[in-house]
Amino acid sequence: MSETTTNPHGIAEGHPDQRPMIVLEGVSKTYPGQTIPAVAELDLAVPRGSIVMLVGPSGCGKTTTLKMMNRLIEPTTGRILLDGEDVTGVNADQLRRRIGYVIQQVGLFPHFTVGENIAVVPRMLGWDRQRIRQRVDELLELVGLHPREFRDRYPRQLSGGQQQRVGVARALAADPPVMLMDEPFGAIDPVTRERLHDEFLEIQRTVRKTICFVTHDLQEAIKLGDHIAIFTAGGRLAQYDTPEGILSRPANDFVAEFVGSGAAVRRLHLIALSTLDLDEIATGSSPTAAALVTVPLSGSVYDAVDAMLDAQTSVVAVVDDDGQAVGALRWNTLVEKLQLRGLHP
Amino acid sequence: MDPISYLRENVGTVLFYGEQHFLVVLCAIALGSAISIGFALLVSMDAGSQRWSLDWIVGAVREGALVVTAAALTVPSLALLVLLLPLFGLGAATTVTALTIYSLYTVLRNSVAGLSSVDASVLESAKGLGMGRLRRLIWIQFPLAWPVILNGIRVATLIDVAIAAVAALVRGPGLGQLVLTGLSRYGAANAFNQVLVGTLGCLVVAAVFEIFYAVVERLTVPRGIRV
Ligand SMILES: Nc1ncnc2c1ncn2[C@@H]1O[C@H](COP(=O)(O)OP(=O)(O)OP(=O)(O)O)[C@@H](O)[C@H]1O
Ligand SMILES: [Mg+2]
Repeated sequence: MSETTTNPHGIAEGHPDQRPMIVLEGVSKTYPGQTIPAVAELDLAVPRGSIVMLVGPSGCGKTTTLKMMNRLIEPTTGRILLDGEDVTGVNADQLRRRIGYVIQQVGLFPHFTVGENIAVVPRMLGWDRQRIRQRVDELLELVGLHPREFRDRYPRQLSGGQQQRVGVARALAADPPVMLMDEPFGAIDPVTRERLHDEFLEIQRTVRKTICFVTHDLQEAIKLGDHIAIFTAGGRLAQYDTPEGILSRPANDFVAEFVGSGAAVRRLHLIALSTLDLDEIATGSSPTAAALVTVPLSGSVYDAVDAMLDAQTSVVAVVDDDGQAVGALRWNTLVEKLQLRGLHP
Repeated sequence: MDPISYLRENVGTVLFYGEQHFLVVLCAIALGSAISIGFALLVSMDAGSQRWSLDWIVGAVREGALVVTAAALTVPSLALLVLLLPLFGLGAATTVTALTIYSLYTVLRNSVAGLSSVDASVLESAKGLGMGRLRRLIWIQFPLAWPVILNGIRVATLIDVAIAAVAALVRGPGLGQLVLTGLSRYGAANAFNQVLVGTLGCLVVAAVFEIFYAVVERLTVPRGIRV
């Protein structure tokens, strides 16, 4: 996060490129025939090229908020700006083709093959066959499904998690600048999910989309989010802050309880190993570098601590992508560093 | 003469009547289905609008059409045929019109049911991807409803095959002619054979339709939703 001046939402203002991509101003939604609003007086600004995670208990209005952004639901009050433009003024279908949407219930078209499902938006945009085919294969690879095996299957021939991944690929198909994702990885096993997270962040580093991502999983929110919006029941925003801010400075009891115990451990996820000054690996002394447990440089302190506890050792070697050791991390130095950073509870 | 030898001697005539029977039902079903499906599409289009008043009117029109066509189905076939006589005269026109009217309810009911039973999340994701109303209808809603609609057409066809025989009373073409002639000269030679062959002929026509629909189903129901 760059250190520019920020408003109370923590969002940079000023330069047009730093103008938020999505802005909600005093948005409320009361469903017909209901007395309490599903979303109440919501102000939210999503910075361009960043990931905002919407978390909160079931029924707190996350899906409703997302659907108002692409006008699947019209707000009762307030207005929504996309790239500075009021969304109520534009053609809803045109608007939605610029916004990738992953629906919570997946909603694949059962009579289309996986490939045809992914090709829907490109077909509407009039891409030629060759380009569509290439794009479909590329996206299937991206979400970890072998094109040759999966392209011609029908949705009913897929597991729930595979369907979800096709849903994500379908939303990404025409490379929309904005993505709205409603629990896209909910039905995926932890290992695959972890891998998808890493790929997701990797893609995001290069393509810089503006993403609103709904999840129930605080861990996921912390790992993926540039900002986290925590909702309370009744569609109120309890706190909107960076993951670090949420974990170390919960704004109220609700957030503190939601974050729960173990916040200190969770925060370790936020410290990338690459940002630490690592110790030299003492050559010649034992244990030698080769004998040490290793963790990748791209990981976080959480991974390092996990490796230490798992191997019951107080030192790990940090290795780069080629497997070359770049330094060692010791338990004692780690604890000192955390104290220096003021990251202890 | 036993029925078999009767059939053997008159195979040409029986085939002729059978073919007429098939064609007259086919015309009526094609017409009735086009009307019913077209109407169902109009009143089932996933509006997705927040205009409640419009939704309400469309719903009222839909229910009204179902009531009217259901009522038509309960009119005795003989009565309907006679009622249509002043308009269309004796022969095929009256027959086709009556059969068309009898096919409306079943096809309409199934079309409305099929179109409205399409999974809401599928339609919502289509909308979320930026598909307009018409495209949603053509790409998503109709193909998914098609198996149910086709079943309605099938049942309507069976009803029409039976009613078409009665239409011989207004000189309608088809196997009813055989049955009617047989009845009118009951007791005479081969009269019973005529009735029997005419009746069994209707069964054969129905069977041919069933085979026809099995092929149509095979060719038109998308593979992903075939059971
Ligand atoms: N179409 C609707 N009509 C009436 N009420 C609705 C409708 N959709 C949602 N609600 C209500 O609005 C509230 C918010 O629903 P929403 O779907 O936004 O919750 P959510 O935060 O996405 O929950 P979950 O995590 O379970 O998906 C709920 O209390 C729900 O019952
Ligand atoms: Mg939801």
